[in-house]
Amino acid sequence: MQFLDKIINQNAFSLDPSFKSKFFLESINSLTSHHFKRSNLYKDYLKGLNYIPKKNNNLSDIPFLPVRLFKDFDFISIKKKEIFKTLLSSGTTSNKVSKIFIDKTNAFNQMKVLQKIFYNVIGNSRLPMLVLDKQNQNVDRKKFNASAAAISGFSIFANKIVYMLDQKNDIDYKKLNTFLSENKDNQFLIFGFTYNVYNYLIKKINPSKLISKNFSNAFLIHGGGWKKMEEKKINRLQLNSELEKKLALKNIRNYYGLVEQIGSIFFECKCGYFIASNYSDIIIRDENLKISKKGEKGLVQLLSLLPTSYPGHSILTEDIGEIVHDKKCKCFGHGKRFLIHGRLQNAELRGCSNI
Amino acid sequence: MNKKTEIEYLVGENSKLDRTFEPFNLLVINFLDDLSKSLDNKLNNQKYPDLKALSFFCRKKNILNLKYKHFTNGTVRFGLGLLFHITPSNIPTNFAYSLIFGLITGNSNIVKVPSKKFEEILQIIKSLNKILKKKKYKKIKDMITILRYGSENEKLTQEYSLKCDARLIWGGDETINNIKKFTTKPKNIDIPFSDRYSISLINADKILKLTKSDLANLVKNFYNDTYVVDQNACSSPHLILWSGKSKKVSKQKFWDQLDQLIKKRYMSPLISTVDNYSRLVKEIIKNKNIESHKSFSKSLYVITLKKIYPNLFLEKPKWGFFFECDIKNFDNLSFVTNKRLQTLTYFGFEKKFLKDYFSKKNFNGIDRIVPFGQALNINLIWDGYDLTKILSREIEIK
Repeated sequence: MQFLDKIINQNAFSLDPSFKSKFFLESINSLTSHHFKRSNLYKDYLKGLNYIPKKNNNLSDIPFLPVRLFKDFDFISIKKKEIFKTLLSSGTTSNKVSKIFIDKTNAFNQMKVLQKIFYNVIGNSRLPMLVLDKQNQNVDRKKFNASAAAISGFSIFANKIVYMLDQKNDIDYKKLNTFLSENKDNQFLIFGFTYNVYNYLIKKINPSKLISKNFSNAFLIHGGGWKKMEEKKINRLQLNSELEKKLALKNIRNYYGLVEQIGSIFFECKCGYFIASNYSDIIIRDENLKISKKGEKGLVQLLSLLPTSYPGHSILTEDIGEIVHDKKCKCFGHGKRFLIHGRLQNAELRGCSNI
Repeated sequence: MNKKTEIEYLVGENSKLDRTFEPFNLLVINFLDDLSKSLDNKLNNQKYPDLKALSFFCRKKNILNLKYKHFTNGTVRFGLGLLFHITPSNIPTNFAYSLIFGLITGNSNIVKVPSKKFEEILQIIKSLNKILKKKKYKKIKDMITILRYGSENEKLTQEYSLKCDARLIWGGDETINNIKKFTTKPKNIDIPFSDRYSISLINADKILKLTKSDLANLVKNFYNDTYVVDQNACSSPHLILWSGKSKKVSKQKFWDQLDQLIKKRYMSPLISTVDNYSRLVKEIIKNKNIESHKSFSKSLYVITLKKIYPNLFLEKPKWGFFFECDIKNFDNLSFVTNKRLQTLTYFGFEKKFLKDYFSKKNFNGIDRIVPFGQALNINLIWDGYDLTKILSREIEIK
């Protein structure tokens, strides 16, 4: 897609709102046409809605695919032989798996854009990275699950990767201490899923086995959802304060992103907001799927300019979010600021279905 | 304590569970009448319509009425012995009906209630425990144990399965198959109340003849059959069949009226928005039988089908998501009826007409044919089983 070339060399938060909305709308409309022509399932969907892709359709009218449908259908806008890799994501609520088909162009753009966005968080230097996971033994270069995809995505920012867990999922103190002693004067990255951060860095770690309890030169990047944390009744502030108390870890950035839109992810800024980059946009919808009133919480619709090999440029997530209008926040640059308030609760249905 | 092995006795931890009575025993009837009175209070009546309905069901007058309808005088019958009830997670009062059926038919009962702590369950348990304290009900106290434990606790399910004379298994197909794996006594009877779907049959021409208030009433009955339980009961209609000449106008009148009522009354969680929209997209993409579809609101989606096809209800919709289809003549009904079909609610037909028709047809599915508004009225004949007879044994004396 040519529109990406126009902005790919700029900072990821460079576009001022009026330019962005025009540019973004044109690009999204051309993506809708692109997928309409190439994906039969997507075409059936738009036809069923009586939606005709046009150059100047409104952003709020762009159809959105409910994210769970990636579990029911193989949405694809490329030829099978062009598939470079397949991303798999297992849902927590059902056994079905989402499949996202990526070609080389998509993979390249994802990497490039992730880098562009990440630059605003950390800068351009590559750092040693500690991963709160075990090393995946049998790596399939063609098929990735969500966690492997995230680790491999972030690994481009590392000049060295050390996995903190052994194959039994226990903390490997020997490896960890070697890493810490090598980097006691350096900045380093820690990457992990939010639940692993809680489970290993707060609950399981035994500080008396560490050569240093001071992680103040570390930069922690975590994401992947708060569902398990909600069960433990731990929120973001509590997590951050525990990490500071226990390991003097202060530089903590949560990220938000879906496997359906890898690359154009959202990092938390210092003010605690996620910020949409040049490559993405967010719309909050109410219970009738209408655009929510300013400042109201609702369902999150995510738009991204990256998906070309599958029709994932406009999706309806199952997350609750809220757009924030805070003029004081100047972090990163331009872009909508928002908060995520967790996943939709699986409702208590009345009726006689399964026990 | 390990959560997995937690057992919570709600009624009768040390009940002997070895007593049987004849069906419709007077002590049981009085006991149920006391339960009815205890449930009939201001709080329940205002806040829990399902408790109000339960209270209405177990009052003496109704039970005597059931006896008159279902019990043949002069026969010698007693309860089977001990019943093990595995009750469904989502209709809060269902366990109580299952227990009442067990008591009416003269049995002792072990009732496993769902893990979700519904307020209705709490209220019923409170009433039961209060009444069971009365000396005159000592015998009945020995006949009831109600408990809550996780399904992972297979040891208990195994123990009760070996002990009981019949199992009443309410739930989805998976649950039922799982329970059936546990060995029972050779003579044990399993009564599975499995996952079913239901339909409605409307005579369109009769809709046009309704006054405004009669139409409102009809739609209210449909609402009560459906939305009160989020359309998730087996008996709630999922498919509407339209017959008659003036279908187009009648459909519009009916759905518009329902839409208005829903907007006034129905509350559903945000996930229903995503569930219903996702279901619509799924149908649009894969269903080749769609004539048209209309979304009245987040809680009323109607998909008009060109024809009925097999497997229509492998995945039942909920939260107010309906399929509809026109029928030209009644022979078409054989396409709809299969063993998963439970209830047909009807409007605009004579009972006699339907009785004649269905008694001639012998379809291999369909267990209930009731007017609009009665879909959820549970009774001693349920899912095609005559429980009064199945749950008691007859002594033949010649």
